[in-house]
Amino acid sequence: MPQNKMTDKAKENNKSLTADAFSVKSRLKNSVVTPPPAAGAFKANPLVKQTSFRKFYNRGDLPIALEHDTKGNKIAWKVEIEKLDYHHYLPMFFDGLRETKHPYGFFARQGVHDMLEHGGNKITSVIPQLIIPIKKALELREAKVLCTTLKVLQHLVVSADLVGEALVPYYRQILPVLNIFISMNCNLGDGIDYGQQRRENVGTLIQETLEAFETYGGQDAFINIKYMVPTYESCRLN
Amino acid sequence: MSAASVIPEPKSMTRAKKWSDEVEEAYRFQVAGYKGEAEYIALKGLEVERWPDSGYIKKLTRKDGNFYYYNKDRECPDKDVHQIKIYSYN
Repeated sequence: MPQNKMTDKAKENNKSLTADAFSVKSRLKNSVVTPPPAAGAFKANPLVKQTSFRKFYNRGDLPIALEHDTKGNKIAWKVEIEKLDYHHYLPMFFDGLRETKHPYGFFARQGVHDMLEHGGNKITSVIPQLIIPIKKALELREAKVLCTTLKVLQHLVVSADLVGEALVPYYRQILPVLNIFISMNCNLGDGIDYGQQRRENVGTLIQETLEAFETYGGQDAFINIKYMVPTYESCRLN
Repeated sequence: MSAASVIPEPKSMTRAKKWSDEVEEAYRFQVAGYKGEAEYIALKGLEVERWPDSGYIKKLTRKDGNFYYYNKDRECPDKDVHQIKIYSYN
């Protein structure tokens, strides 16, 4: 009992002080430096402002029929895709990728998919206008939006010739967020990943996307990717 | 009205059991609201646009004038195969 009293007294004498880092107080003997605040790199930034896609959808400016008598995941186009002005509509649909709410998210995803499938050479000239919507979508740092955007990027590089090479100068705009999330994998140990087919693991998707960039980006692609994502290893060299 | 009389009436209908290229064709027409190729050509009078490699349907015009675009590869999921109607005109 006396021993406990002693340790309590000793504890009283050795009470620690909390101190801010790099302050004079932190140099005292019993001071405990407060840990640094979380940087929030993985924190999602929720959508605050309405996207222009939502505005145009509500106004009826998009060339898609909005009734829901579709069987399966299809959208009906009012105008043939081949006749659409890609410079006007493709950036609009890419802007809608930030939406997660139904039906905006669905129409944006399907619209982008259909336009990339049937765009051909028209897509290459629109690439500079797509970078800002892609960057905004990645900056939300939200898992669902990230997955959608990465799948769209994978489709983009295979949709037409020279698109992969046209993207190389813009790597410094779109790859920083991929660098943050590349290690966001799920360690299941020896468990089975039942959701693998749904392609929802961000780390794996980023790896696949970077490999697609390297495969279709030409000769300079790898070095540019390595500059922005240092932990990426080539899938073509070595 | 005259166009309606040109549409061939199917003699019998069976449900598909297993996926095949014919089932995929029928799926794509039925998603767009047609019974099959015969009805589409009778109503629209247009040739069906197809993908060059796989030969699957690429684009269809719906009855209300809007367009449906389809993928190069298989689109019909296994769970919908048994809902597809195969019509025969013989």
